[in-house]
Amino acid sequence: MLRAALISVFALIASSTSPIAFAQSDCKSVVKPSPFGPNDQTGATNRVTPAVTKAAAAEIQTGKVTNMSYPLVDGVPLFGSRFTKTILTATSLAPGASFGENQLTYMEDTWLSQSHVGTHLDGMGHIGIKDCYYNQTPMGKFINQNNMTKLGLEHLKSFATRGVIVDMVKVYQDAGKLKTNAACKKPCLDKGTVITVADLQAGLKLYNVTLREGDMVMIHTGWGDLFEQFPAQNALYNSGEPGIGKEAANWLASQKVVAVGTDTWAVEVIPSENPKEAFPVHAILLTDNGIHIMENVRTDLIAAEAASTKRATFFVNMTVPKAVGLTGNFVAIDAIQ
Amino acid sequence: MIDTVRGIVSVSRARFVRGAIAAAVASVAVVVGAAAPERRYTIAFANATEEPGVSVEGTGFTGAEIRQSFILAARTLPIDLVFYDNRGDDARAIANAEAAIARKVDLYVQYHRAGAGNAAVSQKLRAAGIPVLAVNEPVPGAPLYSLDNAAAGRIAGDALAQFAARTWAGQPTVAVVIGRVSTNPERVQGVAEALRKHSRNVRVSMLETQGNPAQVAPLLGPLLAAQPTSKVLIAATDDATALVAKAAVEAAGRARDAAIVGHGVDRSIHGGFSDRKELDPANRASIVLGSVAFYLDRMGYQVLPLALRMLRGEAVPARTATPHKLITPANVFAEYPPYDMN
Repeated sequence: MLRAALISVFALIASSTSPIAFAQSDCKSVVKPSPFGPNDQTGATNRVTPAVTKAAAAEIQTGKVTNMSYPLVDGVPLFGSRFTKTILTATSLAPGASFGENQLTYMEDTWLSQSHVGTHLDGMGHIGIKDCYYNQTPMGKFINQNNMTKLGLEHLKSFATRGVIVDMVKVYQDAGKLKTNAACKKPCLDKGTVITVADLQAGLKLYNVTLREGDMVMIHTGWGDLFEQFPAQNALYNSGEPGIGKEAANWLASQKVVAVGTDTWAVEVIPSENPKEAFPVHAILLTDNGIHIMENVRTDLIAAEAASTKRATFFVNMTVPKAVGLTGNFVAIDAIQ
Repeated sequence: MIDTVRGIVSVSRARFVRGAIAAAVASVAVVVGAAAPERRYTIAFANATEEPGVSVEGTGFTGAEIRQSFILAARTLPIDLVFYDNRGDDARAIANAEAAIARKVDLYVQYHRAGAGNAAVSQKLRAAGIPVLAVNEPVPGAPLYSLDNAAAGRIAGDALAQFAARTWAGQPTVAVVIGRVSTNPERVQGVAEALRKHSRNVRVSMLETQGNPAQVAPLLGPLLAAQPTSKVLIAATDDATALVAKAAVEAAGRARDAAIVGHGVDRSIHGGFSDRKELDPANRASIVLGSVAFYLDRMGYQVLPLALRMLRGEAVPARTATPHKLITPANVFAEYPPYDMN
């Protein structure tokens, strides 16, 4: 009896520590090969070469820094059941708990959070079709209980590149087609608005910008105004969004950008152009092209800066932690001009 | 010889140059043609009713959801929409058609109960040279896009009968159609036909609620009590009725003896990522096997491409039917991907 029980326990332990078995798809027929080679786990940050960074550094002319992140705090809109909680450890403040004759004290946090919250970056392992992820990776073979063993954030290179703000609100205003949502305190594109290639090109033309390989493209839709009103407008913010359609996503991919970000929670238009497709732009950018997606980016300040200075380009100041095996993470972004 | 050769070469060069120029001109023309925006059309959609809370076609969908489907579908098409509300009234429907004629719309989509109103609308629009596409109810001389209630009913009946054959083979089984029975005769007939196709002697009872969910338990309870040893197959004419029927079955302690299929697939029975509605991948053991999709919340995606074909001079079928399909916990997220964050 005891022996049988022990065998059962060993079997359970063995099964729980083995890689999880998934049905395998032929990923070569599902996902495009990476433009960076068959073994690449990095994706589009391969494009941020020393030459790209050096050229981007020329964007720093006045030294003015503009914040592009929203605060990460209880009450901001989160997708589905996502959460972010902190616990402060402040025991050192108790009487007699300080260290040494200089009475040094300290505090720390426990941050229990999902990674795709607030202003955040989607990594190469975030989105797949079936079990096929970036670079035709059959992901079922490369996950364990805690993290991915392939495509994690630790493989990313630098984001020290040029950023470009594309002001869709201004494009739509200038074209006389802005249908703002009444809940937005500042002008915004309404949810369901499909941003097209022509719209993007018009936005670039506003400030005479030509995209370069390795650029980070930030699109201002105004929808982030609802994020700023958290928690009052969370339900509306979450219910849909303006964003790029599939055609625009493919065009941006053809421009060899490193990332696409917006002041929305998914970058892409919701509801989708085809109601039976789920997040197709995510799959185009991340899975097929290795291009990062950045969500809940604060774009209004840099859009205003561009409007006043007539400069829509900047140097991106953003780092991503070398978090091994993670699919994404919250980030802080500054635009330096 | 050399001259001849030169001559040939020369001719060839001239031909090549002329050809190249022609090709370049053609390329430019093609590029210009490709870049030229397609003509935009103005299409009017006269909805049956947009009264808040009023459902249409014996389902849980409202006119507002149908209108929204046209707005979403038009986003990627060369179409500008004009909306009218027929309010279920012939005089209003005729006035709407007159307004659309004055506005010189390119095509009119008419969704209004069959009868004199549609005939008058058809006559006026035809006189004005405006093509008409009818939705759900016929308009004289116009192609029709509509639900196929009989097919939908057969899908529901098949699903119930196949479940019974798999699960309760050889056990006494009765069947019930409950909901708006009298106003959905084709749907009800489709259910009954399919059930009888699988089991010729199955008894199919009709329980009329007139769309009042409060009537479900008082009607279903006695039937369940009268069939203490039978399995019960329940086809609900709409999703709200299906959900209330499930509650009634559970209240009677008969959940193990019943299987339910609804009609519509509105948001009351399926939801988004966090909604945890009845049709949910995490709820595969539900006695609600599924619901037959009517796609009224996607009607614009079906109707506007048809309208465009008409405007481009292409032939369209006299009748195009909704492609009904059984939606279950196994395919609900494929058919209705959860897309919002809530």
